[in-house]
Amino acid sequence: MVDQHVVVQDLVKIYPGAAQPSVNHVNFSLPRGEMLALLGPSGCGKTTILRMIAGLIEPSAGAIRLEGRDVSATPVHKRGLGMVFQAYALFPHMTVAENIAFGLEMRHVPRPERETRVAGALDLVKLTGLGGRKISQLSGGQQQRAAIARSLVIEPALLLLDEPLSNLDAKLRDEMRDEIRDIQARTGVTAIFVTHDQDEALSMADRLAVMSNGKIEQIGTPRDIFDRPATDFVARFIGAGNFFAGTVTGTGIAAVEGLGPIAFVGEAAQGSRIKLMLRPHRVAVGNPGQQGVNQFSGTVEHIVYRGEILSLTVKVGSHLIQSDNLTRAAIIPRKGDTVGLSIAPDDVTIIPGNPQ
Amino acid sequence: MSATLAKGGTDRSVLLILVLPGLLALGVTFVLPLIWLIRASLAPSAFTAITSPDWTVGSYSAVLFDPFYWRVALNTLTLGLTVSAFAVVLSYPIALFLVRTPSRWRGVLTALAVAPLLTSAVVRTYGWMVILGDRGVINGALTSLHLIERPLPLSNNSFGATVALIEIFMPYAILAMLSGFGRLNSALEEAAAMLGANRLRVFTRIILPLSLPGVLTAALLVFVLAISSFVTPRLLGGGRVFVLGTEVYNEATVTLNWPLAAALSVILLVLFSSVIVLYQRALRSLEG
Repeated sequence: MVDQHVVVQDLVKIYPGAAQPSVNHVNFSLPRGEMLALLGPSGCGKTTILRMIAGLIEPSAGAIRLEGRDVSATPVHKRGLGMVFQAYALFPHMTVAENIAFGLEMRHVPRPERETRVAGALDLVKLTGLGGRKISQLSGGQQQRAAIARSLVIEPALLLLDEPLSNLDAKLRDEMRDEIRDIQARTGVTAIFVTHDQDEALSMADRLAVMSNGKIEQIGTPRDIFDRPATDFVARFIGAGNFFAGTVTGTGIAAVEGLGPIAFVGEAAQGSRIKLMLRPHRVAVGNPGQQGVNQFSGTVEHIVYRGEILSLTVKVGSHLIQSDNLTRAAIIPRKGDTVGLSIAPDDVTIIPGNPQ
Repeated sequence: MSATLAKGGTDRSVLLILVLPGLLALGVTFVLPLIWLIRASLAPSAFTAITSPDWTVGSYSAVLFDPFYWRVALNTLTLGLTVSAFAVVLSYPIALFLVRTPSRWRGVLTALAVAPLLTSAVVRTYGWMVILGDRGVINGALTSLHLIERPLPLSNNSFGATVALIEIFMPYAILAMLSGFGRLNSALEEAAAMLGANRLRVFTRIILPLSLPGVLTAALLVFVLAISSFVTPRLLGGGRVFVLGTEVYNEATVTLNWPLAAALSVILLVLFSSVIVLYQRALRSLEG
């Protein structure tokens, strides 16, 4: 078995007076050096989990193990974890260097060593030479870097990040996303971050835990989550999809009312009802009237031109199917045109659970 | 926004029109009376305070060369410092609690804390006379319990005046601190705790330094209010507490020596202004 660095066991949080638990029997674990994203809509309990691990909220039940030791009763200032807050929470009355040195000072690290380590941390986050600046003199991205340096300089057993990119503008967000990933890889620190942004989660995390209503719906690699969603919620929350209910009529064939047969790859018992999902970007648009497996033709109902992507909504039988295509200058269908749609059988996703 | 407004000439005249009513009001109610006050302080005799064209610094030298007024100034300063120190120390935990509490009663509690401002300082002074008087609540209770034979000297002295002023000015101190605690933020405390600071360290390294501007504002406000107070020192001092405020009142309404009253007022004003200048220097160095 892999050495599990962080183990969260049966974690529960029930706020007094609340109708249902905010965090409901959550289990997961991380090997050393992994980066896990807690992803979900607001109010799903992801931040509560992060704050319970940090020690800022007391769990109602369950255990949090760091290297095998249950720390759920350890007070926050003795847990030794690093945390990057959503609005950074840098101390406004201290310089950047004083902010970074704060944790070392609390640990009574002697001054010469403190200075070396602060300089090292500044180098790590590319803020070399800015130690004497005031917090208000830093840009948003620099504040983010300073907050990361402050939480890493104490060599935490675990780094926690609360919506780390939500306060940055779009361009800086991409830059910091790569930067955080890079810093995490270089230091090898185990990290958990909370986000409501699926792009952020998919691109930064080794694994994602998708949450809804206080429970983890699915935990897995970005590919697992995107291509093999375990529940309807995950399928709908991550990416876009065209959803159909069908009845299995043969091996790898399901009949969808009002559309026709759809071929898929996967196991399903003959005669059973299944739920199918087609990702819009995997539905290709082409000329109408082509014969073969998973070929449909229909009328263009709606067009959205998004620069890189041309998004078509096509009426096929009694269904509307969305198809996203990379734009090319030559072919742009018009509303009312008849087009052909196709999808490879292994791009058809079967979602477990009973369709309504 | 102000930058774009200041660019065009028309915008500037609009701004001028907008501030004009305020300037006029200030001129009539503040600047003119101030000029009259200074003029009155330079009048040669008590009965020609405003009408006489002659002027003299006699009232000032009368004040500056009289050791009595030096004692009065010292009393005033001591009273101001004591009252502001105690009012700030006693109000600090209340204000801190009001800022930090997650309770939904916070608004109500804040209103309660400043509610005493709804009654006039005179009424509250009488309240303190009832509590601290020789036959007041405390002395009455202690005497009837035979714990003391003679009433304790709680009023008609500077002790009574100081106690009453502290309580009367506490709501101002709380208000000033509430508005000055803007930099306090629970995330900063959590960040410090995550970095290994225990509660005491969080207080001394984060909460205290960040709340200092509010504390200084409150201290200044209470100090200024205390050194200019005269009703409370007069009533609770029983005529035995001499501060600049009571002396100005005395000279103006009892002795009817308006030039002297005016001179004392100007001196008080100079005292205020220097304290405010010092305070602003301190605040600026604090915020760097």
